[in-house]
Amino acid sequence: MMINRAIINFDKSILDQIHNRSLELLQDCGIRFPSEKALEVFRSKGFRANGQTVYFEEKAIIDALGTVPAQFTIKARNPEKSICIGGGDYMMAPGYGPPFIIETTGEKRDATLEDVHKFCKLVQTSKCLDFNSSIVVQPNDVPTETAHLDILLGTILLTDKPLMGSTSSEVAALDSLRLAEKIWGNTNDPVMISLVDSLSPLQYADESVESLMVYAKAGQPVVVHSACSLGTTGPITIAGSLVISNATTLAGICLSQLLNPGTPIVYGLGGSPTEMRTGGYVNASPEDAKHTAIVTALARYYGIPCRSQGALTESFCLDYQAGMESAMMMTTAALSGVDVSLHTCGTYGSMLAMSFEKFIADEDLCGSLKKLIKPVEFSEEAFAMDLIKELGTSGNYLMQNHTMKRCRTAFFEPVLSTRAIHIKWQQMELREMDKRAGKILADRLSSYEKPDIDPMLERDLVRYVEQRKGV
Amino acid sequence: MTVKEIFDAVLAFDEATVTGKTQAELDGGTDIDAILNDGLISAMDEVGERFSSGELFVPEMLMAAQAMKAGLAILKPHLSAGQSQSKGVVVIGTVKGDLHDIGKNLVSMMMEGAGFEVVDLGVDVESEAFVKTAAEKNAQVIALSALLTTTMPSMESTVKAVKEAGMATRTIIGGAPVTQAFADQIGADGYSADAPGAVKLVKELVA
Ligand code: B1M
Repeated sequence: MMINRAIINFDKSILDQIHNRSLELLQDCGIRFPSEKALEVFRSKGFRANGQTVYFEEKAIIDALGTVPAQFTIKARNPEKSICIGGGDYMMAPGYGPPFIIETTGEKRDATLEDVHKFCKLVQTSKCLDFNSSIVVQPNDVPTETAHLDILLGTILLTDKPLMGSTSSEVAALDSLRLAEKIWGNTNDPVMISLVDSLSPLQYADESVESLMVYAKAGQPVVVHSACSLGTTGPITIAGSLVISNATTLAGICLSQLLNPGTPIVYGLGGSPTEMRTGGYVNASPEDAKHTAIVTALARYYGIPCRSQGALTESFCLDYQAGMESAMMMTTAALSGVDVSLHTCGTYGSMLAMSFEKFIADEDLCGSLKKLIKPVEFSEEAFAMDLIKELGTSGNYLMQNHTMKRCRTAFFEPVLSTRAIHIKWQQMELREMDKRAGKILADRLSSYEKPDIDPMLERDLVRYVEQRKGV
Repeated sequence: MTVKEIFDAVLAFDEATVTGKTQAELDGGTDIDAILNDGLISAMDEVGERFSSGELFVPEMLMAAQAMKAGLAILKPHLSAGQSQSKGVVVIGTVKGDLHDIGKNLVSMMMEGAGFEVVDLGVDVESEAFVKTAAEKNAQVIALSALLTTTMPSMESTVKAVKEAGMATRTIIGGAPVTQAFADQIGADGYSADAPGAVKLVKELVA
């Protein structure tokens, strides 16, 4: 019997329709690129343009998709922590962009550079996070124009996992590359990934597109992402949203490949409901999750890696809502086969705030999902036929070597969630989840050790940042 | 036919009926003030209340406003100077460096719905453009939206520019990262966390 589960049954014919209708939009409506530099590239390659609107023929899109690699590796400062994207594993990065921190009291405050550094330490010591965010929070206590330098320097020095480059302006993208160059020299190997958001509907912001161009020319991977607020900046229907965002993302991908065929790309589309009573943006919903599932199918259709949102929630505290929404978003991504998720740890309230306690809780969610999607082992040893036969109906498996050998690794072990019996739970000093998370957080930060770095390199990086900041 | 039917048609988001009935009342010699105030404007006040209480959804509120405006357009040539249909002029925009416009558009549409003449300058708007347009249009209020902490300083410079220009125009600000404390700090005349609040604020400021 065919199970009619809306989010997993995609006929290729539906994907064909989304693709063909996207091409129709690319040809008929075009995409607006308010950047003379981008327009020049399109014009020089013979694209039809009207003012800032560029029109795309099918061949251009197919050619571009043809040069995007199916997988690529981003080097980490510690080679053991380099990551392969598109190779089947699920890669996760923490929150991206929130300007606020929400404390356990419910108070909201501006995020600072010290918060950035604390999050870096958590990323470094995280068992489930694979790479850094370029704006884990937006620090409010340093000048805006150079905040990307402070964030990136902190990230490089406090972690040795792969980096994300800034896309807040062309200059910020160039700065990101200069800092990477200090570590890896002049290289075309991927050493950082960045996020370029389009501006729905059917356009890009100049700074985003110019950042995209900087990274593409340098052969550095870019997540090209389009999303609309359903019913506000795009159609209220998921089908319409998919078409409009797919067209926009494809146009961005096309630009990257025109500049440098083979530039690694992570394909991204999203779509979030408009809260129809207020006009607000809802980030964690079944509709968002449905986008994730379909978008993963589209990425497979195109043969390129894809990105989804992460553990998002509309909640402002570590409650059932936060857990439920985060789990729905992440589980859908994990089961759909997403390659990369941003915002996987720490986010509250529609991506506007980060929480240290939620970060710890999300790590349990992410860790358990990584375990969930790991293929089940079906080896001779795993079937354990000899043992089953030997013990028959009266056996106790606890005292067997087979169990003994695996008892520390066979199961996912949550760090925060409780598995205690009721009486023990009642006796717990810290019964509430956020309080337990606070304790884990304190332990993590106090046991943190800065990864090794060549002192010369460190000085060089610091000097670059100081010079750029005019210190 | 009664003015009440115009009121009901606005609440039913029924533009064709609103324009039809408005024209019919006008032709029938009904007092223009009654059509305007008891028909169209009181209907929008009711829409505003139903929206604030969560009964109406945004698209419904906007369609009601559109129906109301269509009725208003029919009355317009017949209105005397004293029967000005506008409650005041508001210049609105998202500040320099910022391209987020969903919230700003919502605020703008709701102000229009509430009877204000709104001049929407779009996104990425320079301080000078706010000042210049407000002076040209004789605006009572300049409304600034920002969604990035990094562009909130543009609000400060715009508020400063308005003051330096010696204008009587009041400034209000809003957007997800903006707070009352920030409004106080930069000397803006008002802050609202949402669109209905912004409308209320403007009503108070022009009263
Ligand atoms: C005058 O008086 C008033 C009074 C009340 C006023 C008012 C004025 N203006 C608003 N209000 C109030 O009334 C409205 C309704 O009641 C409310 O308006 P809001 O605008 O708050 O609410 C809307 C109805 C719905 N909300 C929204 O529309 C904003 C939603 C979020 C998710 C968001 C969106 C949609 C977008 N974004 Co942007 N975006 C985020 C937002 C996160 C969030 N949850 O806020 C935020 C604001 N963005 C962020 C970022 C980082 C960015 N975004 C960018 C781009 C985009 C999109 C293009 C993808 C899209 C905008 C589409 C558009 N046409 O506007 C980039 C910047 C572009 C630029 N230069 O502006 C980019 C830099 C990302 C990138 N690397 O490219 C973060 C800000 C961080 C910071 N420094 O503050 C962010 C918090 C998300 C995140 N975590 O990354 C009230 O605030």
